[in-house]
Amino acid sequence: MNVLLKVEGLEKTFSTRNSVTEVFKNVSFEISPGEVVVIKGRSGEGKSTMLGILSGLDRQTAGSVVFAGERLESMTVSELAELRAQKIGMIFQSFNLIGSWTALENVEAVLMHRGISPVQRRQKAQAVLHELGLGERLDNYPTELSVGQQQRVAVARTLVNDPLLILADEPTGDVDAETAREVVELLLPRVRNGSAALLVATHGAFDLNYADRVLTLANRCLVAENGRSQDKGVPA
Amino acid sequence: MTSDILSCALRELRRKKLRSLAVAFSYLITVAVMLLTANLLLFSRYAENEVLAATGTHFVTYLPNCGDITTLSEQEVAELARGIIPAKCQELCKNCTGCNKKAIDILNEGFMINTNTTRLVTLELVDRIRRLATVADASGYLLFRFRDPQSGRLFAVGGFDPKSTAVATTCCSHSDLIAGAFLGSDSSGQVMLEQGYAANLGLKPGDQVVIASESFAVAGIINPGVRPGRADVYMLFADAERVMNRRIRNPLFQEANIILIEAASSKLHEQAMQDVKGLVQSDALVSYGCYVPASQALGLNEKTIWLFLALVGGAAALFAAKTQISSVIERRRQLAVLKAVGWKNSVVIAQVFAEALLLAVSGCIAGALFAWGALQVLPVTSLLGISADVPLILNWQLLLAIVVFAVSSGSFAGLLPALMVVRQNPAEVLRRIQ
Ligand SMILES: Nc1ncnc2c1ncn2[C@@H]1O[C@H](COP(=O)(O)OP(=O)(O)OP(=O)(O)O)[C@@H](O)[C@H]1O
Ligand SMILES: [Mg+2]
Repeated sequence: MNVLLKVEGLEKTFSTRNSVTEVFKNVSFEISPGEVVVIKGRSGEGKSTMLGILSGLDRQTAGSVVFAGERLESMTVSELAELRAQKIGMIFQSFNLIGSWTALENVEAVLMHRGISPVQRRQKAQAVLHELGLGERLDNYPTELSVGQQQRVAVARTLVNDPLLILADEPTGDVDAETAREVVELLLPRVRNGSAALLVATHGAFDLNYADRVLTLANRCLVAENGRSQDKGVPA
Repeated sequence: MTSDILSCALRELRRKKLRSLAVAFSYLITVAVMLLTANLLLFSRYAENEVLAATGTHFVTYLPNCGDITTLSEQEVAELARGIIPAKCQELCKNCTGCNKKAIDILNEGFMINTNTTRLVTLELVDRIRRLATVADASGYLLFRFRDPQSGRLFAVGGFDPKSTAVATTCCSHSDLIAGAFLGSDSSGQVMLEQGYAANLGLKPGDQVVIASESFAVAGIINPGVRPGRADVYMLFADAERVMNRRIRNPLFQEANIILIEAASSKLHEQAMQDVKGLVQSDALVSYGCYVPASQALGLNEKTIWLFLALVGGAAALFAAKTQISSVIERRRQLAVLKAVGWKNSVVIAQVFAEALLLAVSGCIAGALFAWGALQVLPVTSLLGISADVPLILNWQLLLAIVVFAVSSGSFAGLLPALMVVRQNPAEVLRRIQ
């Protein structure tokens, strides 16, 4: 199986006024298409920081990240933006929907400024929202939607550009277990058909039964690796 | 791409109505205030210029003598008194007729203005000055200091042309008359006395005065105030030439020692001085009017108003920048999300700029329309107390100024927020839970 994401010797330190915070170092792992990988770790271990680096929003201190054959550290800021626009989907714990934009506009935003015609853009966004059962709520603002619906808008935004890699930061954090499962199950089909990989960061709320592998971030290192490796079937 | 940015910006502005209105309104007020002030300024300046142009200004000019007589030795002075021109004076006075027309009583008498001895210039030069475009009128004037042989008293005699308008403004005019009559072209043999001089000697109209052995009838008493060509005794040019010839070594021939000049208009006052200087081609030329040119005093006033306008404009741009910055801070998360879904920095910046520019341009257009409307209704003429028939105009320079202002202040207002967009690390913003 070809490797989608290859992380080697990744290290991140923050230098503030007079202290240096080492978040993690020597982190190495690989993800292949069709895999669900969970990064587990207590609060403050650096999960969000790592997702930031993997998405090209932040830069590592050392080490390398190769995604879809491209070395992130040697790309410019605007090349990284392009990469995100085309190949990465992100979903956040607090959804981060834009409050003054409707559900449709929020999803459409991902396809903007990429030379896609407004009509195509709208059709694509509508299709994804329909698929997620939000066909009736296209013109509602986030505040007019239930938390679960907001989460589905966030999922639609994540999937609308057909990403190769989905980065989910605590995707189930704010909702009840039932809704959380729903989100994961909305994301999973894309992964299971082999068109994408899913990397989830969680402090534990995420149902590990979905994971092919679990990486544990502790004491600034990726210390353990386990998971459902024996059984690759879709969980019930 | 561009239309995407524009429609997104419009959408953002529409969704934040209150803030957008506040910023647009600040531009509206600014442009309206600027336009109204500029129009009132243009209007009042136009009116003032009308007055000034009609008023005109005046000055006198002369060439100071080549050397002060006090630099000559006693022997040289004695020789000069006998008509022998000292060697160093000959050198200096090549083209000057002054040396052989020095006063006989060289220590007391001479062609003077105030206490300065002057050279003589030809009336032909005066004619050429009169023909300058910046000059309305120029007149030759003879101003000579006599010594009364009986009392030893020194007094100045001015010989003028009563038909010249330059004389009226720089020397003496009908309105200065206190008693008796003003000299006319046919007043040969008569003089006018300066009020103080007449009082000193107890003279009044009808009395006789003797100047260089010639008797003159006192026609009038005048008080010319502080005019530059002031004398104690005023007479016609030809009379003055005659009495002065008696006191100098060689007779005058079509010459004067002072030129009285009336500029074509107050705006041309300084230009006229320059032109005269150019014509005379002498660095020594001394010109002076009796006050600061009015155009200068008015120019100052205008500068203050432009400064005021700049301040108003600056304040509006700052307000817009402040609002725009707080809007970006408020939307930090939104902008970070957009970057996270793949918007490039340049697109986000264009977005912020487009918003700032849209607000500036729409606010300024509204302000211009408002000002235009106000100028139609306001009774400007009676407000300013100036009655001049000036068409109120929003000319293209003003409109251009507004456009420049709108674009530059809009860009300024968008600049800092755009910089903030570039600097902010979206990963950091997104890591934090709301
Ligand atoms: N700009 C910064 N300067 C200094 N330290 C930072 C900075 N940003 C993050 N950190 C530190 O990096 C560490 C990792 O933070 P991060 O947000 O990635 O943790 P996390 O694993 O996502 O935690 P949580 O589960 O609470 O979301 C924390 O100790 C945090 O204090
Ligand atoms: Mg986190």
